[in-house]
Amino acid sequence: MTANVSRRTALALAPAMLAASSVRAAEPPKDPPVFRIGALLGLTDKGNWNATVMQRGIMMAVDEINAAGGIAGIKVEAAIEDHQGVPRVGVDALQRLRARYDIQAVLLSYSTVGLAAAPICEENKIFMLDGGSVTDGLVGKFSYLFHNRSVASVMARAAMTVAKKNGYKKMAQMASSTDDGQSLLRAAEADWKAYGGTIVGTETGLPTASNIDTQMAKLRTAGGDFLAIWEFSPGPGLVLKRAREFGMTQQAIGIEFTAEILKVAGAHAEGYVFATDYFNPEAADPWPQRFAADYRKKYGDNPEVYAANYYEGIYIIAEAIKRARAGGGNYFTGERLKQALDASPVVPSVYGGNMTFQPDGTGLKRVGIFKVVDGKAVFQNFAEVSR
Amino acid sequence: MELFAQLLVNGLGNGSYYALLGLGFGLIFGTTRIVHFAYGPVFAFSAFAVWMAGKFLGLPLWIAVLFGPAAASVGGAAVYWLAYRPFEQRGMSSHSVLILSLGLTIVLESALTLGFGPSIHTFPDFAAPIFILGPVFVTGLQLAETVTLLVLAVALTRFLQHTRYGKGILALGDDRDMARIVGIDTDRISLVVFALGSAISAVAGVFTLLNEGATPTMGFYPVFVAFVVAVVGGLGSIPGAIAGGYMVGLVESLGLWQIPTEWQNSIAFVLLFVVLMLRPQGLFVGMKR
Repeated sequence: MTANVSRRTALALAPAMLAASSVRAAEPPKDPPVFRIGALLGLTDKGNWNATVMQRGIMMAVDEINAAGGIAGIKVEAAIEDHQGVPRVGVDALQRLRARYDIQAVLLSYSTVGLAAAPICEENKIFMLDGGSVTDGLVGKFSYLFHNRSVASVMARAAMTVAKKNGYKKMAQMASSTDDGQSLLRAAEADWKAYGGTIVGTETGLPTASNIDTQMAKLRTAGGDFLAIWEFSPGPGLVLKRAREFGMTQQAIGIEFTAEILKVAGAHAEGYVFATDYFNPEAADPWPQRFAADYRKKYGDNPEVYAANYYEGIYIIAEAIKRARAGGGNYFTGERLKQALDASPVVPSVYGGNMTFQPDGTGLKRVGIFKVVDGKAVFQNFAEVSR
Repeated sequence: MELFAQLLVNGLGNGSYYALLGLGFGLIFGTTRIVHFAYGPVFAFSAFAVWMAGKFLGLPLWIAVLFGPAAASVGGAAVYWLAYRPFEQRGMSSHSVLILSLGLTIVLESALTLGFGPSIHTFPDFAAPIFILGPVFVTGLQLAETVTLLVLAVALTRFLQHTRYGKGILALGDDRDMARIVGIDTDRISLVVFALGSAISAVAGVFTLLNEGATPTMGFYPVFVAFVVAVVGGLGSIPGAIAGGYMVGLVESLGLWQIPTEWQNSIAFVLLFVVLMLRPQGLFVGMKR
């Protein structure tokens, strides 16, 4: 609440801050030798596929910006550290970034790592951008934290639009016991109950659990018109596989589909429906088209939400740097980057058009509904979710 | 009732899997008294060996699975010979060997991560048959786990009772010093035990690979379950390992019938606690093999 107020206050004071920056403009900008942007990724975690594509997105953006002459002629560098999916390791990695580089901006990933790292960044006024985790636990609590991925309250409600559209009444759900999974669970339950639906079964499991037979047996007995899966890669793969093996034939609805999920689920992924930030490589906007084409050329793969978000993340920070630099003085600080986005929260998005950061730090994006057909995600429609 | 029947079948299926884990671990621990936590990465290594045989050598699955026990027995024997044995020869305490075992686990898991990457390796085209028995679904893998356990238990019993090495293993398990005095080559017997116990763990490793895929850390939880099964059943006892495996599998499955599944990973350790309180020697001690 405090952070909300402080961000709103900051927005209210934006004109004054702009005026202040115009005063500051009299002072020439103190350029650093390089713009070093930190990133905490789960490179050696079990779900490292996400980190791999995040890293690709980051490096593509850095290479593009530098090839175009950098920012005001100054090169951009990415300092990527591995958090292994472990909060303690993430905190150590963040402290290394601070000690070595006095890092001023960092890209976060994974809710548990974000929850551990964000207070340290907040205290040290480090600008944070999270394009991976969806937990509501990180929303509105840290004034230096921005999100360019739709968060749990949006994703869960987007997934629920499928259930409502299909006229389902009874939900059975399987959730990861992580903060992300529980955030989705809470958001979905609230939305489903408000709709008048009933919840016939709720089971949870650790993200590393390999034995979910009991959960699946209980959910099968509970019935349900559909099975909601509030898990992240590769978790939904095992849920889909075991659900089908246990004879559960109802529609499965989730919020993520990756190559890892497909590897585990195999043919059982067929028909799975999921909601996710909608990245359309064929969009009319030239930026998504160019990004998708370059990504395919470089990695032989289609970019998806994680690659797009971390690619976009570097550009958002670059945009904040440009705006802060216009104010002159010692501008490459977390505080000045945050002020730049607070003052003008609209930034270009690789998803097409612009993205506007809300007072709680979340960026508004369109959420799409996809269905797995022949092992590929096929776009169905946009989810109409009120904010 | 339908749920109970399904949970019972699941418990028996998982019990067979746990018993396989406990059988290998118990054989090593019961004979050498080494708490072999590096059993986990050796178990994982066996799954990767099968995956490589299938993917890179292009072998059919039924041949590729043979690479699992072979790789695990070599890996297990190497771990004993290169790591534990030098410690034993220097007369290091069991605590030192335990620390070594934990350190070795981290080193071997890291080596697997460097070699194979941390992501999941699967056979996407493999699909186990499903059998529908009234309201109960049974997978082909659950049946295969049970049949394999029974075959291995009988074979291991006969090996221990009727071969020179088997009798040496029994003697070593009973009294190491006495075995040495009567002329048994305890180093060689320990080597055989590590190879054999690791090969048995590989059978469970192959089932894990086929069920959900292989990762470098896939042995982390199974090694603890194997420890629980071996201790609950009674160290070095084949019937004990089987009973311990089924007890953990059934308690884990049926115990969650009425209580939240968040307790899933704790329930095996609650069972361990209860057994250690009531019968610290294990349920089947005195009924060895």
